[in-house]
Amino acid sequence: MATILEIKHVSKFFGGLAANSDVSFSLEEGMIMGMIGPNGAGKTTLFNCITGYYPPSRGEVIFKAQKISGLEPDRICRLGMVRTWQKVRPLAKLSVIDNVMVGALCRTNSLKTARELAMEQLKVVRMENKPDFPAGGLPIGEQKKLEVARALATQPQLLLLDEVMGGLNPAESDEIIQLILEIKKGGGITQMVIEHDMKAIMRISDRIVVINSGEKLAEGTPQEIVNNPEVVRAYLGDFHA
Amino acid sequence: MKSTLALIRTTAGTSPVATALGLAVLAGLFLFPSFVKSPYTLHIMILFFLSTIQGEAWNIIGGYTGQYSIGHVAYFGAGAYTTMILMQYKQIPPWYGMLAGIGVALVVSLIIGSICFRLQGPYFVLASIAVAEIMRLSAINLKDITNGAEGILITEIPVFKIGNTVVTDFLSKVPFYYVGLVITLVTILVTWMVQNSKLGYYFQAIREDQDAAHSLGISLPLYKNIALALSAVFTSLSGSFYAIYIGYIDPSTVLNLDISVQIVLVCIIGGIGTIWGPVIGAMVLVPLSEALRSDLIAGMIFKTGLTSEGSAIGTFLKENLAHAHALIYGILVVVVILFMPDGVLGWVKKLTVQKGRG
Amino acid sequence: MMVLLQSLISGILIGGVYALIGIGMTIIFGVMRVINFAHGDILMVGMYLTYTLFSSLGIDPFVSIVITIPLMFLFGAFLQKVFINRMLGAHPQNQILLTIGLGLIMSNTMMLIFTSDYKIISTSYSSESFNVAGISISSPLAISFLITAAITLLLYWFLLKTNTGQAIRATAQDREAAQLMGINVRWMSILAFGIGSALAGTAGALISPTYYIFPQIGGIFTLKAFIITVLGGMGSIIGATLGGIIIGVAESVSAVYISSGWKDVVVFVLFLLVLLFKPAGLMGKSRM
Repeated sequence: MATILEIKHVSKFFGGLAANSDVSFSLEEGMIMGMIGPNGAGKTTLFNCITGYYPPSRGEVIFKAQKISGLEPDRICRLGMVRTWQKVRPLAKLSVIDNVMVGALCRTNSLKTARELAMEQLKVVRMENKPDFPAGGLPIGEQKKLEVARALATQPQLLLLDEVMGGLNPAESDEIIQLILEIKKGGGITQMVIEHDMKAIMRISDRIVVINSGEKLAEGTPQEIVNNPEVVRAYLGDFHA
Repeated sequence: MKSTLALIRTTAGTSPVATALGLAVLAGLFLFPSFVKSPYTLHIMILFFLSTIQGEAWNIIGGYTGQYSIGHVAYFGAGAYTTMILMQYKQIPPWYGMLAGIGVALVVSLIIGSICFRLQGPYFVLASIAVAEIMRLSAINLKDITNGAEGILITEIPVFKIGNTVVTDFLSKVPFYYVGLVITLVTILVTWMVQNSKLGYYFQAIREDQDAAHSLGISLPLYKNIALALSAVFTSLSGSFYAIYIGYIDPSTVLNLDISVQIVLVCIIGGIGTIWGPVIGAMVLVPLSEALRSDLIAGMIFKTGLTSEGSAIGTFLKENLAHAHALIYGILVVVVILFMPDGVLGWVKKLTVQKGRG
Repeated sequence: MMVLLQSLISGILIGGVYALIGIGMTIIFGVMRVINFAHGDILMVGMYLTYTLFSSLGIDPFVSIVITIPLMFLFGAFLQKVFINRMLGAHPQNQILLTIGLGLIMSNTMMLIFTSDYKIISTSYSSESFNVAGISISSPLAISFLITAAITLLLYWFLLKTNTGQAIRATAQDREAAQLMGINVRWMSILAFGIGSALAGTAGALISPTYYIFPQIGGIFTLKAFIITVLGGMGSIIGATLGGIIIGVAESVSAVYISSGWKDVVVFVLFLLVLLFKPAGLMGKSRM
């Protein structure tokens, strides 16, 4: 298995404060990497550094053997890495299918092709029955799925999901878990998932990286993470209390 | 003509009735001058065309892309001044001047775009006003080129010939009517093409959520610049057309910030981000401002008997309503923004939806 | 050298008034995140208020600010309560259009009342000046600068030392956090718009002895108020004070060394250059 993403000693400072300091890990093709950590640990900041929203203050991000830190998000998307948002960002006045088409247009100039690609992705997230519904009017669960469909439509090799289950009920979360596993089974797409729901993350991840106070606390298989005393002390213990 | 047909068919829906209606309107517009000879009516129609062109043009950057420019008079003035200066001092006919005007407007748009579109926030609005003001002050100060505050007056337009055949001598309002109509149709057609292309999707994605658009592979500066450039081209065309039609320009008529507000108003009254919004906006605004200017409204108030022409209020109305159009614009902006932010079109849509439900 | 010094000093004097305008706008922006496109028109209303007090009651423009300040505060509070408040959560661009509309209503109402003729307030000292070490200083400008300085100091004291002032600053820093801390954010917004308008109106009163008064004068001041706000780093009061002085000096120096017709162009070009090279403002750290 080849390495698809390598994060090398990434630090991000805001003013004097370090939101991330010296974080390193890497992703193998086809895997699901889970990322956990308490609120404010710097997970989303790390996502922003990886996807080009902030340039890292130090360190570099290597995607498919190419240095991407410093590139703009749109370039990074066209290279094959796409993210979803913790707080959903639907293109509210556009319809469901138009939202996904915007993603698909990353790979084609033809609206017809884009519409076909978008319809395929809507089927993947099981929303093919309401393509013309305005995205802003969808319930939160469907907005989250729409985000995933829109991201998939850009035909990524690496998909970064930022708390895609946040705010969902158990049934909806379960649907997302199935979706993530299906994407993995489909092959060709590596995923990195920020999640709060410990059960979910243990179930889907091949490996997990734990971020605490902006630093990498631990990395390993779900089993190793559960048995890591430091993680238990810093995060899990807290979580179960 | 074929594409115009396609435009009508698609925008009016595929129903044959709508298509027939669209064709009838189009035919009516082309035959209009054969039936209506009144120069004043033709003048109103030409003003309506001008307003529609400006509204549609602003709509591309403001309505579809969501980047409000309150300095669009810069492109209007660029078109007007370039065309007039070339015609007056270099004897270059206005149809070439229009192209030169487009060139100048493009340069101005790229300057504004490259400064502002790297930044998020209100900078674009501010910078677009600043550039418009720089142009107005330059037009006043660069007397050798622009004739300063006195402005440029042209007395005759060269005869338009293709080969040796005289097409028109521009002596009546009819040729202007047709030029205005054609530019209007082209502008609407281009807007329609934009809306139904990748560009339109990308523009609207930027309007709805810049960060999301950015994450989906859309280069924000690139597409905002394209939208602004497209918008500048047609605004400049309207400026050139206005200048040749009126035959006189000065900094306070073609580079006045009020024009920028008026352009935005056409759009927001009709409904921004829609093809027909600016058309409807122009249909509301042009007659309204003409009625104010020609004392029609004061006359109507007297007729209703609310107040008489001789009374103090009557004299006040008669004297001031003609100058009050800017006040009315102000009130309209406030009312529309507070109570019908989606314009007339959005308001009608809402009404029909409610009716459908009830 | 003398000429340069002369223009520097008059630049600083007029810059004081600009600072007042800029601070008003910055407070409004800071607390409500609304860019007030009617700011210059509010200043214009202040000018006409001063003119009316002078021409009908014979009150000296500098004395009349004791009436202008509270009236303009109420005017601003009214605008906020009736119009702006409805739009606080709205698309920023609709807020901009709303304030543009309000500005149009103000300027055109003044035109209906006072016509578009230029008005002047001629006091005994309007064209007076005095000499300091060979540099001539205009008396009305000097007086207005002293008043400006006093008001600015008072404002700093209010914002830094009083509870209400600190609440305003807290709201400006983080509206949501302020709300969570129990600060009445709605009231702070009304206060901020009131104070901002009072400052703009006062600036209008202070420049009325040296400027022509006409309904359309507001636009240029709105634009300059922004430029000052951006120059100072949006929302920074100290930044706005410095920004005002910089604009004043840039204007008066370029009026002398280039020509008075181009002085505004110089200011606008300066603004574009700031956007190009230091968009976070001269005080702020450049962030892109």
